[in-house]
Amino acid sequence: MILLRLISWPYFRKHILRTLLTIAGIVLGVAVFVGMHTANQSVLAAFNHTIDRIAGKTELEVTSGETGFSEDVLEAVQSAPAVRVAVPIIETVVDSRIVGEGSLLILGVDMTGDRSLRDYDLESGDEAVVDDPLVFLAQPDSLILTKEFADKNRFAVGSQITLGTVLGDRRFTVRGIMKSSGLSSAFGGNLAIMDIYASQKMFGRGRTFDRIDLAVKEGHTIADTQAGLRQLLGPGYQVDPPAARGQQFEAMTAAYSMMVSISSLFALFIGMFIIYNSFAIAVTQRRAEIGILRALGATRRQIRWLFLGESAVTGLIGSLAGALVGLLIARGVAASIGNLVADVYGVAQRTDAVAASPALVLLALLIGVSTSIVAAVIPARQAARVDPVQALQKGKYQVLSEGEGRVRLVLAAILGSVSLICLVAGGSRIVFYVGYVLVIVVALLLSPLVSLLLAHALRPLLSWIRPVEGALAADSLIQSPRRTSASVAAVMLSLALVVAFAGMARASYNSIIDWMDTTLNPDLFVMPAQDIVVRNLRFPPEMAPELAALPGVSRVQMVRDARIVFRGAPVMIVATEMTSLAETIHRRPVEGDSTEMYRLAAAGRGVMVSDNLAELHGLRLNDVLEIPAPHGVIRLPIVAIVVDYSDQLGTILMDRSVFVRYWHDDSVNVFRLYLAPGAGVPEVKRRILERYAGARQVFVLTNRELKTYILRITDQWFSLASVQIAVAVLVAILGIVNTLTVSITDRRRELGVLRAVGGLHGQIRRTIWMEALSIGVLGLVLGYALGAVNLYYILQIVHHDIAGLRLDYEFPLTVTAALVPTMLAAAFIAAIWPAESAVRGSLVEALEYE
Amino acid sequence: MNERRQGVLTLAAVLVWLLAGLLSGTRLGAADDAREIVQEAERRTDAKSQRYEGVLQVADGKGKIADKRWTLERLGSHGESKMVLRFTAPAEVKGVALLVVNHPDRASDQWMWTPAIERDRRIALQDRSTRFFGTDFSFEDLEERDVNQYNYALLGEEAVEQAACWKIQSIPKQAKSSQYTRSVVWIRKDNYAFARIENYVKDQVVRRLTYGDIRQVQGIWTAARLDMQDLRRGSRTRLTLDKLQYNASMKEEDFTLQAIRRQ
Amino acid sequence: MPSPTTMIELDRVTKRFAGKRQVTALDGVSLSVPQGELVSVIGPSGSGKSTLLNLVGGLDRPTEGEVRVGGETLAQLSDDELTRVRRDKIGFIFQFFNLLPTLSCLENVGLPLHLRGWPRAKVQDRATELLHLVKLENRTHHLPDELSGGERQRVAIARALSIYPPVLLADEPTGNLDTHTGADILTLIRDLHTRLGSTVLIVTHDMKVAESCDRTIALRDGSVVEDVRR
Repeated sequence: MILLRLISWPYFRKHILRTLLTIAGIVLGVAVFVGMHTANQSVLAAFNHTIDRIAGKTELEVTSGETGFSEDVLEAVQSAPAVRVAVPIIETVVDSRIVGEGSLLILGVDMTGDRSLRDYDLESGDEAVVDDPLVFLAQPDSLILTKEFADKNRFAVGSQITLGTVLGDRRFTVRGIMKSSGLSSAFGGNLAIMDIYASQKMFGRGRTFDRIDLAVKEGHTIADTQAGLRQLLGPGYQVDPPAARGQQFEAMTAAYSMMVSISSLFALFIGMFIIYNSFAIAVTQRRAEIGILRALGATRRQIRWLFLGESAVTGLIGSLAGALVGLLIARGVAASIGNLVADVYGVAQRTDAVAASPALVLLALLIGVSTSIVAAVIPARQAARVDPVQALQKGKYQVLSEGEGRVRLVLAAILGSVSLICLVAGGSRIVFYVGYVLVIVVALLLSPLVSLLLAHALRPLLSWIRPVEGALAADSLIQSPRRTSASVAAVMLSLALVVAFAGMARASYNSIIDWMDTTLNPDLFVMPAQDIVVRNLRFPPEMAPELAALPGVSRVQMVRDARIVFRGAPVMIVATEMTSLAETIHRRPVEGDSTEMYRLAAAGRGVMVSDNLAELHGLRLNDVLEIPAPHGVIRLPIVAIVVDYSDQLGTILMDRSVFVRYWHDDSVNVFRLYLAPGAGVPEVKRRILERYAGARQVFVLTNRELKTYILRITDQWFSLASVQIAVAVLVAILGIVNTLTVSITDRRRELGVLRAVGGLHGQIRRTIWMEALSIGVLGLVLGYALGAVNLYYILQIVHHDIAGLRLDYEFPLTVTAALVPTMLAAAFIAAIWPAESAVRGSLVEALEYE
Repeated sequence: MNERRQGVLTLAAVLVWLLAGLLSGTRLGAADDAREIVQEAERRTDAKSQRYEGVLQVADGKGKIADKRWTLERLGSHGESKMVLRFTAPAEVKGVALLVVNHPDRASDQWMWTPAIERDRRIALQDRSTRFFGTDFSFEDLEERDVNQYNYALLGEEAVEQAACWKIQSIPKQAKSSQYTRSVVWIRKDNYAFARIENYVKDQVVRRLTYGDIRQVQGIWTAARLDMQDLRRGSRTRLTLDKLQYNASMKEEDFTLQAIRRQ
Repeated sequence: MPSPTTMIELDRVTKRFAGKRQVTALDGVSLSVPQGELVSVIGPSGSGKSTLLNLVGGLDRPTEGEVRVGGETLAQLSDDELTRVRRDKIGFIFQFFNLLPTLSCLENVGLPLHLRGWPRAKVQDRATELLHLVKLENRTHHLPDELSGGERQRVAIARALSIYPPVLLADEPTGNLDTHTGADILTLIRDLHTRLGSTVLIVTHDMKVAESCDRTIALRDGSVVEDVRR
């Protein structure tokens, strides 16, 4: 401790900027980690909170995926001997049409009896939720709002509120206000209660319920009741405690969470390089000091602990600051994750509070500090090895010794072959991931050697551009490979991340566009909601002939898609008219016969599955699937495996007749319309809108609009990842700044000489810029090389472990090309400050020999 | 299903046969036999059908619930009757109908029709203890029950508003079949009309029903004013009956779900 | 005293270094050096002779007073203008040579020329010529580390002369060399002085060096205590 205070503190104080930069690396890494995870957890917590609040005293819930089920199920459940009380629920998310409020969750409940499960906490303290329950039930426009929402938007009992429904915008009347507690805190307070039958009507649900909430009679256990109800209802229904929905939500967003984890860990990893860099530099710069300490009797162990102690303190400070920053940004991130989840998964939720988990913060501190310590291990060992006698002589700068270079080469060769073996041997996922990690280790081992090599190669070019500035910039890189290579490695890692994500994005876009072009070829899409993922608003099938009768429409296809639970995981069912589909789209299956598959599926003798479902569940052609449905278990063989991006968790495509038979649900999510030759898209669109004006909420999307919409969702999916990538790049740039500040200290005399013999400010700056740009170039070259490999691994991970998508390997040329100026500009920006400080300062001091 | 069987003495009495609380004719020989007193009261109110117009007024000190009017038609004998209740005012609830089909061997079926939503809904058995549309009555109180489902005991004699009454206790044979643990009913000695009912949960009176304006309609003693007090909430609902009519001609097919959907 | 043109002129120049304890390195020094004179500056360490040289070379600015070199008042110039004066008019020879270790002799010598933006071929020619001049033609592509001390100083001199500067400033040019080599270097400087006609200011504490110059200025505690012409 005393050593830390006496030796380290003055050094830090003297190099405040560098110390701050070092800490900044950890701050950013930890901030991203904490921010992303806190946001993620907050979204999950908000979702769970909503479930929890709405669940009230509910002990079990009966659901059937998201398809809902017919009303008769309620009586069956109510008459089960162990059920004390069972109430139906319909949940609908509507647009509040209030700026800044966004969506409103409407809970349709049976007002006659629901109070036994939920506590509606009346405004008046009275038992009655509403002034006049009979009026409430008699009028379909009746709504109960939470006090919070009502107060914020100045609603009182009797106020009117306009909401978007399946029948167009409708006015509702506030007939009751809930107190702000309990239930009303669900969905961030944006909650309204309606009569369930009124909401069936207002939201076009037909005679179905989404869910039945129930409580168990005294003397019966929840587990027994659950088992009993499962037995009673069959495999088409899920009977679970309310919390299980949170788990499903988690499963649905698992892919997203995984991406968040990977990239935030990368950010930390890059932060680690900055620390390593700083300490490696500090060790060389403080050789003399270490030598004196050693001469005065400090043991190697003490020296090692001195540096490790320093890094621990740095890490702790950085982690604390990072955790703080992370918590600050979490709110904003949570909002965008919330939007993403709503858009990509169709699960609406509202995050109004950030759930700061002490465990997470602690974990982040632990990761931050240990990252910092790990980064300092090698420099600390080098410090401990400093020979007191040599150190006290005027030190020569660190040059990569030939021995070390050889060790690195040999190690890299060994690990490289091991990772190749891992790749070729295949087998378990662990082997694969070991191979992945080894590849990165090899890259890190080789990066000093390769950057030295490249710097040598760059020198003639640089000195050709600028004989003095260029040559000196290159020499600076060559002279201090350690200083250079750590920041090159940081840039390399961040670029490898960028390349891989860009490549993944590119590949995703390519295959999504390919898929869209093949399967989404109708001219118009008629939908009940603006968002494709809003599946709980649907049309009646009677609209099909109505649409077909409109002039200019030549063919109408009905599509019903619904998320169900298959083998314990949420998957998407897409039910279409296969016969008609076979005539309009020509899908090439990954496996299976392209004509047979439609014939069999249309005949109800088979289903098609998406390749990601096949991958995630290990399905093969001709496997017989057992798909649970409310009215029996569907047992059909897989007649084809096709590329389909309807859902990230996999899709089962079946004929509409099969769905109607097993779900007793003939509603329609989307009508696909093909126009007659010569018919104009805008006219037909106008005709459709006129046909249903005032009668029904109808959205008509043109082919291009739908594709744009899908691509926009895809963009959103990648946008958060890009933020993290930006942070990774930022961290890498910090590394460049760090390296350059050290470089200008190291080159102080040299720069002084330059100025003394006639170097203008501009010329001095230029040599710093050239050094920065060279680091950028080295980083780019190495980053692209590693990125090319990283992309391969990321695609493999996406294929096998995340989304099951088979994406083609294609190096993202456009992005990488765009990265060149970006990265160089960034490197240049990183050099501005160091360059300025290089031209300032006393020339006399620079030239002096101390 | 049995657990839902209810005793004779709950509000079923109020809305249906006890409305026609009748006391004419001779005293029974075994008048002090509690069960027989109840049966006699039931016998005296027997009619093929019944119709009246009611006004429902909730007095909870806040006056937020508007007065409601309805017409009620009932067909059939005790325990097997069917009843349609249709609201006529105020405008927001006009047309809302309630169909109650009583069964001698099990709990009644109840449906509600809301014309604005264009659909009917079942009032589930589990919900029958909840309040009947914000009044001090509960849905359970709409049912008719079989006398045999209860045990009776004569507690003594006591005057209610200067009229001499028998004071009789009824306890459901199956404890969990009612929200009430027991009830105490006062039946007038002079005309076998109900004078008062107190419903207990455990040892506490939770609802008290008082009969007033008892007069003869077509030879049947009928209370034209009923006051239900919810002692836990401290509120009171008054039902006033008008245009009472017995044995009017009614058709069986008007007492179905299909029928109440027609306005 | 008849002197053609004044090359270097100091007018009541004072230089103080701020710090915990203020140090006055030069205290109101006035002197002028005519063109073509070979002047030595002597004095014990801390007497202000290096400061004097730095001020004349424009590496530092005086606290008070004016320094004029070749008719330009240095105090009025911006940093870059000062640099221009240095690279057009002044050649530096440092005690520790201050060669750039990663550049070859030829590159080191060509450095000021490159900085002035001379074409590559011309730089090459001039640097080669200068290396001939200092008799290092066989060391053209060697790095400074590969040379002896005397050779390094000769490279430094060649670099200082590369622009044929009207003013040559040498700070203890022999201080880091053995006596023999020192003498060689001095001979070289004097020889070049004669040939190129530059004004030369040599800071030294070697009396033999001092005495071999046209004029010797002695400093003590920041003031001129003696100014002798021979």
